[in-house]
Amino acid sequence: MLFKKECKKILLSLTFWIYCILVVIMFAENYYSEAKYPIGKPAKDGSDYGYMVREDPELIMEGASASLMSDFASNRYVCYPYGFYKAVSLDKEDRDKVEEYVTEITAWDHDEILKQIDSAEVYYMEHGFSTFPGYKFESVNIDKNMTYERYKEIMADIDDILGGGSAYKVETLASRYSLVPMTYDDAVREYEDSITEDTVTGSLARLFSDYTGISLALTPVFAAAALTAADRRRGMTELVYSRNISSLKLTFIRYGALVAMMFIPVFLTMIAAAIQAGEVYGDEPLKMHYMFTTTTFWLLPELMAVTAVGMFLTEFFSAGVAVAAQGSWAFLSLMSGGDELSGNITKFCLICRHNTLYGRSEFMATYNDFVFNRIFYIVLALVLVLAASYIYHLKRGGRFNGIRLFGKGGLFRRKA
Amino acid sequence: MASGCLAKVVFSDAKHNFIIHYLAAIGLLLVSPVVFGFSGLDERLAAIPLEMLAPILGIILMTPVFMPEQNESIYDVVRSKKISHTLVCLLRILLSAVIIALLVGGLSLHMYHSGSQVTARVFASALISALTLGALGTFASALGDSSIIGYMVSASYFVLNMLLHNKLKKFDLFTFTDGGTKVNLWLAAAAAILVFAALLWRKIRK
Repeated sequence: MLFKKECKKILLSLTFWIYCILVVIMFAENYYSEAKYPIGKPAKDGSDYGYMVREDPELIMEGASASLMSDFASNRYVCYPYGFYKAVSLDKEDRDKVEEYVTEITAWDHDEILKQIDSAEVYYMEHGFSTFPGYKFESVNIDKNMTYERYKEIMADIDDILGGGSAYKVETLASRYSLVPMTYDDAVREYEDSITEDTVTGSLARLFSDYTGISLALTPVFAAAALTAADRRRGMTELVYSRNISSLKLTFIRYGALVAMMFIPVFLTMIAAAIQAGEVYGDEPLKMHYMFTTTTFWLLPELMAVTAVGMFLTEFFSAGVAVAAQGSWAFLSLMSGGDELSGNITKFCLICRHNTLYGRSEFMATYNDFVFNRIFYIVLALVLVLAASYIYHLKRGGRFNGIRLFGKGGLFRRKA
Repeated sequence: MASGCLAKVVFSDAKHNFIIHYLAAIGLLLVSPVVFGFSGLDERLAAIPLEMLAPILGIILMTPVFMPEQNESIYDVVRSKKISHTLVCLLRILLSAVIIALLVGGLSLHMYHSGSQVTARVFASALISALTLGALGTFASALGDSSIIGYMVSASYFVLNMLLHNKLKKFDLFTFTDGGTKVNLWLAAAAAILVFAALLWRKIRK
């Protein structure tokens, strides 16, 4: 009964309808227009089939070491820590640390490194009002005792020194330095993977989840914050406090109503995507359940987590804080994953990206992390809702009033 | 006399209702070096942090202009005062616009002195983007009678820009980032219309 009432309240709120519009815009503008062309079998005409990542330690160590020598020589490292360009110059202490690693990789001592830099081809790059020297190293010596495992450890340390997002980030080493041209057979294998293993709908479900996941990382927090703050705004707080219902039950019913209502537009777009898949790939034997199972497992935990963050922070602080915190988290998640849009799902990333109809093997390589990630966010969501209900309970008992910035009891409240 | 009174109102209003927003805006600029690099950028690369950060400043500073009177009873009290509430809101918007201009200007100068090619047109473009997104937030919060709705609409439009870029044509906030070479006056016009519509709506409703 109360659940129905809460659903009705959400249905009548403007934030919910704006949320629905945003979900539909994201679906129509991104997924729907991209998925309307069928995946075609590659033509055997000797055309360019693109590149594929093949983790070849030798190739990676060769390429990354040449790049490291070049960056070390100019002391200018281009990084994309959150998807944005950043040129990093190291101070003496960090430069010395990198030099130690260069020595370990190349087996060159300090004098030999200087000699190599002096003999390297120099070119000049213009950036803004400045011109920087660049050093070209086609290849560098690799110590024959250097193992790939140790090499990756060194790269991780250097990436850490540079503040992340560098050309030495371990997760992107293969895609950066070990790309090999795809042959016709490789292209056919990838195509057949999509058709036979995935029956296309697996690929479509991943692309759908990728796009919808972006809007679900942010928009639910507004509806959650608005609903959680509604009692206070309408002056109904005391009235609700006095009702004969436990804080735990009330909070979970409200949370359940929010998640259920906000999942409806997502589910409707899933149906639209399934209908589109049926039309575009009518001749193929499709496993249509992927359009609902994969997408639900991908998106529901994210929706649950973002809604829970919205409720918890609104209850503890205020709606503004919830919006600002979730906005920052969503922005940084989106941008930090922006340099690799597929095959880069980690254990704790909020937005799982797989922005391609191909790359099934890439996705399967991270499948265990993906499953862990989604379960983690379900658990996190439930813990946050429990915490929100406890804060609500304290507020009801008058033992805590929340930390507010404005309004009654706010930190910035004007004193009479 | 009247202008002195208005100045007092604006100062008091800013001090009691908006100081946290000003601090948040300054805080955003202070932490931005973690995400962005500001030195040695050509014009297009310099436009990226400017056109990315400025609209967020617009969201932070312009969206909450109606927040102090969001509570109906406070709104009724404020409307009963001699001084026009619309005028107070307009002054708040102007003050926010000035602060945005100062912050974007400060960031531009910092970038310029760090060797980045920040031109007047990139600065103007970033400022216009900030005012447009801020005006969108102002308009949405007036229409929905809630700052949360204002934040929701403006933040979502920002995300939409990050994904659709040139597809938004004249309403793309990242003009120079997306390869444009002229300041987009359509956005400036949209900002003025949205602010006007927001104030008009607040005045005629109820």
